[in-house]
Amino acid sequence: MDNHQPGSQTQLGCKKATAAQASASIVSPQQLVQITQPSSGDGLDWKTLEQLRSFPGGQVELSSRAVTTTEKLAQTSRRDFLAMMGFTMAAAGLAGCRAPVQNALPLLTGSDDIIPGVANYYATTCGGCSSSCSLVVKQRDGRPIKIEGNTGSTIFGGGTCATGQATVLSLYDDARLREPMWMGKPAYWEDVDRQVLQFLHRYEPRDLRIALLTSTLTSPSTRAIVADWQQRYPKFKHVSWDSISYSALLDASYKSFGQRAIPHYRFDKARVIVALDADFLGTWLSPVEFARQYAKARKTEAGRVLHVQIEPGFSVTGSNADVRLVVASSQMMPVAAALLARVAIKAGYLNLPDISTPVDVRQLDAIADELWKHRGESLVVSGVNDLLLQTTVNTLNLLLRNIDQTVELNSPSLQRSGTDVAMHNLIGEMERGDIHAIMLYGVNPAYDFPDQERFVAALKQVPLSISFSDRLDETSSQVHAICPDHHFLESWGDAEPVESHFSLSQPLIAPLFGTRAAQDSLLAWLDVLPPSYYSYLREFWRKNVFPRHKERLDFEAFWEQSLRDGVSVASSSVTRPTRVHEDWKSAVRTILENVEKSPSPMREGYELHLYESVAMREGKHANNPWLQELPDPVSKITWGNYAAVAPALAKNLGVRDGDIVRVKSKRGQLELPAFVQPGQEPRTISIALGYGRTHAGKAGNNVGVNVSPLVESMDGTRSYALQQIGIEKTGRSQRLASTQSDMSMEGRPLVLETTLQEMADTEHNDQEDLPNVWAERLIGEHSWGMAIDLNACTGCSACVVACQAENNVPVVGVSEVTRNRIMHWVRLDRYYAGSEDNPRSIHQPMMCQHCQHAPCETVCPVLATTTSSEGLNQQVYNRCIGTRYCANNCPYKVRRFNWFQYSQNPEYDYTMESDLGRMVLNPDVAVRSRGVIEKCSMCIQRIQLAKNMALQGRRNLADGDIQTACQQVCPTQAITFGDLKNPESRVSKMLRDQRRFQVLAELGVKPNVSYLKKIRNTLETT
Amino acid sequence: MSTLGITQEPPQSKRTALQVLPPPRWIDGKPSVQRVTEEIVRPLEQWPGKEWWMCFAPSAGALALFLIAVNYTFMKGIGLWGLNNSVGWAFAITNFVFWVGIGHAGTLISAILLLFRQQWRTSINRSAEAMTIFAVICAAQFPLIHVGRPWMVFFIFPYPNQRGPLWVNFRSPLVWDVFAINTYFIISLVFWYLGMIPDLASLRDRAGTGIRKKIFRILSLGWNGSHRTWSRYEIVSLVLAGLATPLVLSVHSVVSMDFATSVVPGWHTTIFPPYFVAGAIYSGFGMVLMLLIITRSTMNLQSYITMRHLDMMAKVLLLTGSIVSYAYATEFFAAWYTGNLYERYHFINRATGPYAWCFYLMVLCNVITPQTLWFKKTRSSVAFLFLVSILVNIGMWFERFVIIVVSLHRAFLPSSWNMFKPTIWDVSILIGSFGLFFTCFLVFIRVLPMIAMWEVKAAIAQEGHQAASTHHADRELRKEVVNA
Repeated sequence: MDNHQPGSQTQLGCKKATAAQASASIVSPQQLVQITQPSSGDGLDWKTLEQLRSFPGGQVELSSRAVTTTEKLAQTSRRDFLAMMGFTMAAAGLAGCRAPVQNALPLLTGSDDIIPGVANYYATTCGGCSSSCSLVVKQRDGRPIKIEGNTGSTIFGGGTCATGQATVLSLYDDARLREPMWMGKPAYWEDVDRQVLQFLHRYEPRDLRIALLTSTLTSPSTRAIVADWQQRYPKFKHVSWDSISYSALLDASYKSFGQRAIPHYRFDKARVIVALDADFLGTWLSPVEFARQYAKARKTEAGRVLHVQIEPGFSVTGSNADVRLVVASSQMMPVAAALLARVAIKAGYLNLPDISTPVDVRQLDAIADELWKHRGESLVVSGVNDLLLQTTVNTLNLLLRNIDQTVELNSPSLQRSGTDVAMHNLIGEMERGDIHAIMLYGVNPAYDFPDQERFVAALKQVPLSISFSDRLDETSSQVHAICPDHHFLESWGDAEPVESHFSLSQPLIAPLFGTRAAQDSLLAWLDVLPPSYYSYLREFWRKNVFPRHKERLDFEAFWEQSLRDGVSVASSSVTRPTRVHEDWKSAVRTILENVEKSPSPMREGYELHLYESVAMREGKHANNPWLQELPDPVSKITWGNYAAVAPALAKNLGVRDGDIVRVKSKRGQLELPAFVQPGQEPRTISIALGYGRTHAGKAGNNVGVNVSPLVESMDGTRSYALQQIGIEKTGRSQRLASTQSDMSMEGRPLVLETTLQEMADTEHNDQEDLPNVWAERLIGEHSWGMAIDLNACTGCSACVVACQAENNVPVVGVSEVTRNRIMHWVRLDRYYAGSEDNPRSIHQPMMCQHCQHAPCETVCPVLATTTSSEGLNQQVYNRCIGTRYCANNCPYKVRRFNWFQYSQNPEYDYTMESDLGRMVLNPDVAVRSRGVIEKCSMCIQRIQLAKNMALQGRRNLADGDIQTACQQVCPTQAITFGDLKNPESRVSKMLRDQRRFQVLAELGVKPNVSYLKKIRNTLETT
Repeated sequence: MSTLGITQEPPQSKRTALQVLPPPRWIDGKPSVQRVTEEIVRPLEQWPGKEWWMCFAPSAGALALFLIAVNYTFMKGIGLWGLNNSVGWAFAITNFVFWVGIGHAGTLISAILLLFRQQWRTSINRSAEAMTIFAVICAAQFPLIHVGRPWMVFFIFPYPNQRGPLWVNFRSPLVWDVFAINTYFIISLVFWYLGMIPDLASLRDRAGTGIRKKIFRILSLGWNGSHRTWSRYEIVSLVLAGLATPLVLSVHSVVSMDFATSVVPGWHTTIFPPYFVAGAIYSGFGMVLMLLIITRSTMNLQSYITMRHLDMMAKVLLLTGSIVSYAYATEFFAAWYTGNLYERYHFINRATGPYAWCFYLMVLCNVITPQTLWFKKTRSSVAFLFLVSILVNIGMWFERFVIIVVSLHRAFLPSSWNMFKPTIWDVSILIGSFGLFFTCFLVFIRVLPMIAMWEVKAAIAQEGHQAASTHHADRELRKEVVNA
């Protein structure tokens, strides 16, 4: 490579790409060219997308092959010419025996923004959930193919979650509507608009009772449009309603602090965290942000951070806790009250009633001690949708002086704003016929409202119902008009997840179908001409956001800057007067007396605990096969929900994994498979929400059971903790699609833990170098390696989906997963230790360890797997004949075999069968055929790209130039990749950490992946 | 073969005085040379009987099942089988090792017993060799059909190509397998064919005109039965026997290295080569025993394949079965003695895990069953020996299954512990391979003499002389042959 003349970039890029892609079994035209852009210095090249409205995305197939050939011809010698002529003639003769040819259609009008083979990156905002993380999306040849976090975001950082990663696949979902529908039939936008406007004009504006039911709107400009409607129609009603309710938290905030907004929690500032059934690392409120803060706080050098998790089921957050107390939902309130009483006594309050709890008094005392000791830097949170409990939590935080420290009220989180009561009132009005028209945006109450039938019946009472749903889902199939919204990667928009922290959205691709942004529809029906949300958004930013940035004078420049950066932090508008409860003393007393007086919960029957699962969340992305096939971080089950029961309860009932049980509540009964979950509260059954969709699409329909009908409403607030539940065996059973059946490490030293004390006591704790029969390998220019900090890894599983997206890993479906044939290149091994009733749990990301003395390599008869001079264990798909000997001999069992043809096979119609689904494929990575082994390549395509960039920039590769997909996505930065040959690289430094160990090092395989031990803190009870 | 030219009387003066027992007689009755030919050739020259058809019909049916199952596997992929991410090998490789092992008895009988001048081999060596050929054919199917991309399987041969330095990986035991199996097959085939030439000449001479005569004329390579021909034939046989002998040891040693060179607990064991060879001979003799019990009754050859033959084979089973049992014990001892965590767990799991029933079935068949053969009474019951032969084969199949699947299903990382559950296709291919084997064998006994006629004749002649010191006589004969 070195003797190439700089300047012949095309040829150079070409060569490199060809070498990298030599193993490609299916080569798309884009793969033949990989021209890299000269680096502009800071890595990513972001652009504004002013021209994007005339953006010619969508057309995928570019004639890059033609481009290369022409350029090559210019440098052809006579010999080459003769050779090529011979080849051409032979090729012409052989054309008859070619495999089916795929035609590449050239773009009629080219675009300066699209260079075949070169990826562009654009900043936008995630629409996966209302956390509204800031993103940078990779666009290749006109189509978005990979989502990354925006490192420029001060809130979210460069990480994303599994759901966010998977949203790019939802863009290419076959189930999306391709045009609007009127009365169940496809229609033209003009017709739908005419019909809607005719309806609206039937009423006087001041009489029209129109309702807009939305999920939380984090977009300030959309909220402004809603306000415009309010202005036009005085009886317009906007109801914000979330699938998973945070109503009580909002109400409690209002009650305690005078503002109906969720405080901005700062886990990074907390030295003691007590979470009462709040899965803040998995699903609660803003998991990417919280995971990032949490990892930051728990860095070893930062000292001890104690995390106490009190919960009935086993959440991913609980699996990370230092102390996990198993407490039934019904006992959550007494436990919180008991903590409050202890803290209040320390704060000098006297004569407080004593609360009895099932938790060991010494443990409660110790937790209260820790909280008090770290007052001002502790944090209590709760995910229970219960007003009294949330008020207790607020009181606790106040007594602990955490307000404005770890609980920020000045810039609250706007990520959830739904009100349960408003929804109930709305349905009442609908039933009475008081609503003339309703618009549904981002909600699916026919699926997730507890009284679905009541909602549907009420909906039928409304003369005009309009849905902006992107598909014919449970709700939109019941409405008069569907005006499908864009996918967020196709649309403009903005978000304000935390007050004054703005994030912009810009389209990455021209709309694939005849969809229209919901905001455009709303504007069109307001008779705004021309109805352009884009100009509205700009105007909104000019008027509302721009003035809050004092450093910029020119709006155009500000706008461009904001688009490029994606994020913009405005100076805080007003300092809010935090009206706190007048008399905290009496509040404490009231709470404690309330708890004391309240009847002790029924001990007859069982309790039901409904929760959001990490993969499926509230069920919005049910048709996303990446998420359906994502193993739950704790149970490791894919494709469906289950009734988690404690081992003791399972024994009592005589059920085993997969036995179908009938769960009965006051509100009905349902049947679903049981799963024996260690660490589950003995009398509680946990079931995930978000499953059992019936109108999601082919991948998501009828996967699991919908448990939302069991959700109870107490005073209008939804409760996910139910009592007086019956459970019984049905006698039937099914096999759960689990990816890990064995629970413990069987006494093997595979994942190691340590304590801060132990670290202080031992100077150096490296594994000894054992004798080895192999000759040492010669190391080339680099020696790639990885370090994984188990203390930072939370098990959130975002890396699994990121790897899947980056490396075109196929989805194989429930039956193949059941047969233990999941294809994920990186898996998260979860082990339990300790007692079955409340075990400790530990996560270990496991991917190809890139052994220097790789056992897979010696046994392959055809040399299909080799170790490169840079220390990478490479799999050559074209050479592989599929003996699977390597997979047998791999101690880490990370090699994956293509048991069937998983791509372009109607039997595996998930992502790679339809033309639309294949648009998400990364052209830099070959799609593997049937019969070959595949495995983690350490994102060799990214290594190659970074090398090309460095070469073209005439500089050496710098540490951090290369980020693997799993590393980039990790919200906690648990994974570090780099050059082991460079002693100053971050990965080399991590390898010198005393916590470093290698898995199965005693086999002498010399893995290039090392792990850092997890640090477990203990709660000292007296 | 060494009994060639037996008409010559060994010098009586050289008889040792110690000779008290008459040498064993391996053929019942005293059939004339003419009758031997008649009786052995009879099945070839008449329409087969009902019993043959009763055996052939299910065999051919099973072969059809094999073809269907393999074809469907080629169409869809080996995902049809019960394999998974942890258990990458199961039925196919079990079958492969099983069939390779079966073959070993044939080579042992034809080569090693020839060198050791075991007279009793004469009646059974031809069919044992045929069994070897068919067993290796069966075995060779599996490496082909078990790979992910069978259309690329030629990559495994080191053929000249244009891929520059890309060559096979000589460090991989699978490449060694390719050489071992191919060598084995070629030598066995040549040995078998060569041994048949005098008999083919007999068939040629018996045949009328027609196509039959033409075929046997070509196959008998112009054999004329002259002294010179016999003498050269003798030498070639000895040379080939010498070449084949190491194969008995090497082939299964190489196959065992597929496992022994890996890192998988339960595979990574130095005892494997001798252990596998003993197991192979054990299973091979079990299969020979089974085949001969079937053929002697279906083909009415009780006077050629006598109870004494069965008795000898039973003794071999007892010996090799005991070696195999010893190897099992050694494995457990080594696992305990090394203290290796993973190795220990593997053996605990073998005896107490979810596949423990396979292990105990294996112990029943391979450890307990052969020990019943200490008694003359058991060795002389055809029905009991038939049962033993079946148990031996079941036991040895399960031995390979236990080694392969039980080791893989719970290896190093408990996160990847999975169960293997065979599918209908796994079972079809297993049954089908028996169909392939028996179909070949049944066709063989119909078209070629399944007992080496010329050797039997020679044996009868020798027995007729009551040669007290066969060894001595042979030595004398050898001299004469060489001198001639």
